[in-house]
Amino acid sequence: MQFLCSQAGYRLVQFLEFSIKNEDTNEMLFQLKRPEIPLNWEDIDPAEEGRTVNYKFPISFLQAKNIGTTLTFAVGPKELSSFRMIERHYFRDRLLKSFDFTFGFCIPNTVNTWEHIYEVPALDEKTKKEMVLSPGQTVSDSFYFVDNKLVLHNKASYSYC
Amino acid sequence: MGLLTIIKKLKARERETRILMLGLDNAGKTTILKRINGEDISTISPTLGFNIKTLEHKGYKLNIWDVGGQKSIRTYWRNYFEQTDGLVWVVDSADRPDRLEDCKRELKELLKEERLAGASLLIFANKQDLSTALSFEQIKDLLELDSIQTHHWHIEGCSAVTGKNLLAGMDWIVDDIASRMFSLD
Ligand SMILES: Nc1nc2c(ncn2[C@@H]2O[C@H](COP(=O)(O)OP(=O)(O)OP(=O)(O)O)[C@@H](O)[C@H]2O)c(=O)[nH]1
Ligand SMILES: [Mg+2]
Repeated sequence: MQFLCSQAGYRLVQFLEFSIKNEDTNEMLFQLKRPEIPLNWEDIDPAEEGRTVNYKFPISFLQAKNIGTTLTFAVGPKELSSFRMIERHYFRDRLLKSFDFTFGFCIPNTVNTWEHIYEVPALDEKTKKEMVLSPGQTVSDSFYFVDNKLVLHNKASYSYC
Repeated sequence: MGLLTIIKKLKARERETRILMLGLDNAGKTTILKRINGEDISTISPTLGFNIKTLEHKGYKLNIWDVGGQKSIRTYWRNYFEQTDGLVWVVDSADRPDRLEDCKRELKELLKEERLAGASLLIFANKQDLSTALSFEQIKDLLELDSIQTHHWHIEGCSAVTGKNLLAGMDWIVDDIASRMFSLD
């Protein structure tokens, strides 16, 4: 699938941190932090292309039963009357999990967090093995909407080793 | 995962349950939320916007919204009232008298809100571990809780540092929400 919009949404929202924790063992599985540089809300190229980020996870990730993800994002000088995220995770053509979360109103010039704790969809051992053997074929699309308009589309691919 | 035991009670419900945590700045809202979930509470900074915690369990969803309490942010609170099933009002029981007056005034304003009319109200008289803290009975009188006719309410003296009574309070509010749902059926 192509990127479905430009990245103009970075004038409205920017992501600061993302982490994934195994809720049963409290083990941090993944953490990505943006360096602490001042945020820039103006010089965003509205035509900027989306990028696909490649994530590498330890195989133990596939054994986790309950995980907690934490997303930290900043909202720029403009308030958002409605902010919503839809994310879909696939292995090849198979939908593994989909999220639809409405943040709603977001206060201008703020930092906000969303922590989501959920059960990982149960996968059979054979599928897990295939996922390990097929790096880059587990993928996700994240769509961000402001006032029902798609303003950001990010893609990610995953490998387990 | 203390909250897991709580969400299990919500099974009778179909839609998502939404709990809103409010209170003056520095009351301990964010610390309570982290403490309940067994997270590190040593590095919490004032909340500028919101912190949301979503718990999903066997298809049921509990969303807890913790919105910052600084004066400049309070005007935005109304944006988060919609569809609230439970309101958790957090009080710093060791706060200055004038701040406790603010606290009482802000709570009274909230209780007039139509969009919060159906919500169960839990008051956390927090910071009971401090020697200067007023007891939960004193907080109850100070906030004139006995005069509340419009909401089911409950007060719990608690401490986000020791964890005392946090689950008891959450348990009450979830039970109250769930029982209202049953009575609507
Ligand atoms: N002694 C004691 N300190 C507490 C307790 N709960 C919170 N604190 C401290 O109070 C301060 C404020 O806590 P926060 O959780 O940031 O308060 P808040 O209500 O989220 O504040 P805002 O985000 O500004 O609205 C922190 O320094 C906490 O460590 C408690 O039960 N006892
Ligand atoms: Mg806070």
